[in-house]
Amino acid sequence: MLDKLESRAASIILYGSIIASLIFFYVPIVTLVVFSLKEGRYLSMPIEGWTFDWYRELFNNRDIGAALQNSAIVATSAMLASTLIGLGAALAWVRYRFRGKTLFQAIAIGPLLFPQLLLAVIILFWFTVLSSWLGFSNGIPTAIIGHVVYLTPFATIIIAVQAAGLDPTIEQAAQDCGANNWQVFYEVTLPLLWPGIFSALTFSFLLSWGNFYLTYSLAGGERTLPTFVFSGIAMGSTPIYPALASVTFAIGLCLLVVADMIRRRAAARLKMG
Amino acid sequence: MNASGPSSASRSIVALNALPVIVLQALFFIAPLVITVALSFQETRSFMLDWTWSLKTWTDVFSRGYYWTIMLRTLIMAALTVALCILIGFPVAYVLATRLKRWENHITILIVFAFLTDNVLKIFGWVLFLDRSGVANAVLHWIGLPSLPGWALFSPQATLLGMVYNYLCFTIFTIYLSVSMIDRDVIRAAYDCGAGKFRTFWEVTLPLSRNGIMAGGVLVFVLSLGSFLESKVLGGGKSPMAAELIRQTFETRINWPLGSALTVVVMVIAIVTILLFLRLIDLRKKDAP
Repeated sequence: MLDKLESRAASIILYGSIIASLIFFYVPIVTLVVFSLKEGRYLSMPIEGWTFDWYRELFNNRDIGAALQNSAIVATSAMLASTLIGLGAALAWVRYRFRGKTLFQAIAIGPLLFPQLLLAVIILFWFTVLSSWLGFSNGIPTAIIGHVVYLTPFATIIIAVQAAGLDPTIEQAAQDCGANNWQVFYEVTLPLLWPGIFSALTFSFLLSWGNFYLTYSLAGGERTLPTFVFSGIAMGSTPIYPALASVTFAIGLCLLVVADMIRRRAAARLKMG
Repeated sequence: MNASGPSSASRSIVALNALPVIVLQALFFIAPLVITVALSFQETRSFMLDWTWSLKTWTDVFSRGYYWTIMLRTLIMAALTVALCILIGFPVAYVLATRLKRWENHITILIVFAFLTDNVLKIFGWVLFLDRSGVANAVLHWIGLPSLPGWALFSPQATLLGMVYNYLCFTIFTIYLSVSMIDRDVIRAAYDCGAGKFRTFWEVTLPLSRNGIMAGGVLVFVLSLGSFLESKVLGGGKSPMAAELIRQTFETRINWPLGSALTVVVMVIAIVTILLFLRLIDLRKKDAP
């Protein structure tokens, strides 16, 4: 009797908590989507009518086009660079023993354990000192460098987890069959690591796509979508900003679902073969 | 290619793999750290950086109560965030790891999506939700309840809400990992010995997931020391935290040495926390048979 009561209480707490947290996570997201469809220019209740006008306005706004383009450039370059560098770091981390490995690990993971705004601030200090010597000004390239510093540890950890679960005898076998180092890497290691690499690509793209702190500090006068929205909030905004937010939500969610499908298919193939 | 004795061929492979990340972080993470520490020992003259070594900034930092009030507030907010993230995150992670096999993937995607979505947008969404003429009050009126209290927005409570919201995922992920690594047989053994659900939870599951709880806690603590958007937008900028103070010192007051000194203070707090955590894990390893 007591047992039954106990397990019922446990179920209520557990399932309740997951439903409550999902609601909690989606309160601001749903709020933004609702406001993006609202008629009239004020972002407050009550809602008198629904319209797609703000989306139409969004596509005619040239500033937003520029911000969107910057976001795409930054996220794509940061994704590729951090995943590539992270792949090397992950292999060195999992596969090899060498002198100074602890130091190597600390350096490879360091930025992840650093508050993001402070990371942005210290890199800004550094770039300002550098630019007084080398004479460049902050812009999209400096923002990309900041993103790569921040994202590489994420990519490293994600790929390292995949690499740690890999059976080294498979590669040994390929080597015994006469494959050289490069062939082993390209035809055996890379396909086996693919699910991890893919997750790293997805994660780093989305984290860069939505990054505010680093872009805000390091992009100079250039704007990406997050910094564009931030400046909009400050100015007293119209539903065009919620509409912009909803568009980025839609893009992000699509990417994530497609990525998950590809990842699961790759994992299934790995299990079969 | 194996992990034991590196031959000369594999040494060049190690270098090829490890070098890019070392170069990247040495140039753009370690060098900035060094320059920040160096800057904190310089002086300013009429809003310009003056390269003369001095302790002026540091004596200033240590003698003014104002900075330490803000630092203390930041620490308290970070500690509260950690406590709430663990309390809320644990049951969620536990359900994800132990039950819900069918829905696990869908729920994980939903949580990951919320986590990866732009912070500015989500904070903006909270403002629209909590505002006096926002969604929350409209819903409350509709079901006939009184409106939200005045402190629901532009207050420390709202800042805390934003921080918990932004960092909750970290505790969910780390606790999820450690709970899913617990051997189910250990829990079954506890049941067989007659322990009830709650007793098993307290005496078996909870202690075994301690590493995940602590790792999540440290991560949230360190990251929330840098909270800026939450206190600026949701908190209304009325009770600034360390990160906002640091931004102000070189944006509006253009005092770089002061900004770097305050950055160093926050960094030292973060590093000491991480080292303490690693120490604790080490001790526990030694205790284990």
